[in-house]
Amino acid sequence: MRQLTQAFLEVEEKLISLLEEVRSLMPYVQSLEDENLRLKRESCALPEKETERVIANAARIEGVAHDNLVRLYKDGFHVCHLYFGQPMEAGACLFCAGFLRRE
Amino acid sequence: MKILCSKDILQTGVNTVQRAVSNKSTLPVLQGILLKAEKQTLTFCATDLEIGIRCEVAAEITEEGSTVVPAKLFSEIVRKLPDTIISLDLNDDVLIIKYFQAEISLKNYDPQEFPLLPDLDDARFFTLPTALLKNMIRQTAFACATEETRPIFTGVLLNIDGHTIKMVGTDTHRLAYRIAEIPNQDELQFNGLIPSKTLSEIYKLIRDEDEFVNINFSDSQISFQFGSINMISRLIDGQFPNYNQVIPKSCDTKIYVSVDSLLDSVERAALIARDNSYANIIRLAISNRILKINKVTEIGKINEKLDIKMEGKDTLISFNAKFLIDVLKIIDCEDIVMEFSGSFSPGIIRPLNDSNYLYLLLPVRAT
Repeated sequence: MRQLTQAFLEVEEKLISLLEEVRSLMPYVQSLEDENLRLKRESCALPEKETERVIANAARIEGVAHDNLVRLYKDGFHVCHLYFGQPMEAGACLFCAGFLRRE
Repeated sequence: MKILCSKDILQTGVNTVQRAVSNKSTLPVLQGILLKAEKQTLTFCATDLEIGIRCEVAAEITEEGSTVVPAKLFSEIVRKLPDTIISLDLNDDVLIIKYFQAEISLKNYDPQEFPLLPDLDDARFFTLPTALLKNMIRQTAFACATEETRPIFTGVLLNIDGHTIKMVGTDTHRLAYRIAEIPNQDELQFNGLIPSKTLSEIYKLIRDEDEFVNINFSDSQISFQFGSINMISRLIDGQFPNYNQVIPKSCDTKIYVSVDSLLDSVERAALIARDNSYANIIRLAISNRILKINKVTEIGKINEKLDIKMEGKDTLISFNAKFLIDVLKIIDCEDIVMEFSGSFSPGIIRPLNDSNYLYLLLPVRAT
């Protein structure tokens, strides 16, 4: 019986030391979270010039992609998501035409 | 199995279910028709595993039983039978057909091998007026693809959302869209692709005196019950593409033209354009309130002129004549509106003063 009490006391001591260790780590976790938030804010706040450059680049890529799709369609290949890249064996496709018009 | 019935009754049953008999199945029993005699009802049943048709007729049954007769032979025999009371008597696997003083013996298949048509017990259920369903099938199913390489386009999309029913058929070169209102279906939701072959058979089998069609459906099958006929079909697997995005929302040219006059002109022009090297293409030239259809081929030339009402720009556009004729034949009104946006964008054809139907047709790049 005494042995059991001794075992419980040892477990209690270990738990207390573990709890202290967790408490000592808390300030580090807090500082890491603060730093993460600060870095996120910094990365979102791109200068206006940079934002414009990104938008212009996206529009250019979209334009080039659209031209490529039109060329592919004119060369006789499907550009609709149903049969993308497959040869149009039986003439034009409504879904390709609709897709290019929407673009 | 012992049955007494008239030739007419036999012929009705055989003709009804024969459409579902398999022509190319490797399972011989599918080339037969199941005859089942039970409680003064003779049931005919055939299936090719895609479509199944069951037809019940009243007959004098003195001994119940079932057998599977070879469809083609039995149908030819029935057609040639005299117009009198026919006796069918099953003796082991031989069916004896007696009439007047004569008899025919026919070797049959084992009915145990014949697949059972599913009953769709847990299916949901709705009812459609026959005239509406027939008209919707007539106006959409013809636009479906026939080649099996693209299965989703061999079916008609049936979409029901409460009071609204839509049917859409397309082969990617043209699209037929029909919408209608149905009463008393508040909670009903259905979205499925029905093989156009199934719909064509229903169209042929429905009689005008069948007032309503009862439709049951599960996730993979649909059944139609009308009169004494029950037809079951699989639904086509796959996602039907977003058809709304292919329908142009505006146009540069709008013309109003008589259906009969245009149909006659296009049919005449198609005769000249029938030469294979021209792929049945005709060109419509629209200007100064006149629609011209000109065609010159090696076999001859044609110049058609129609007076039309028009709004917007002059235009020049070429179509496959067959695709134009198909739609002009199924439109139920005297005049149509045709909308164009240049030579390369799809043309839209609608009945005048009826926004429930729309046909979209891709032009052909003619030289």
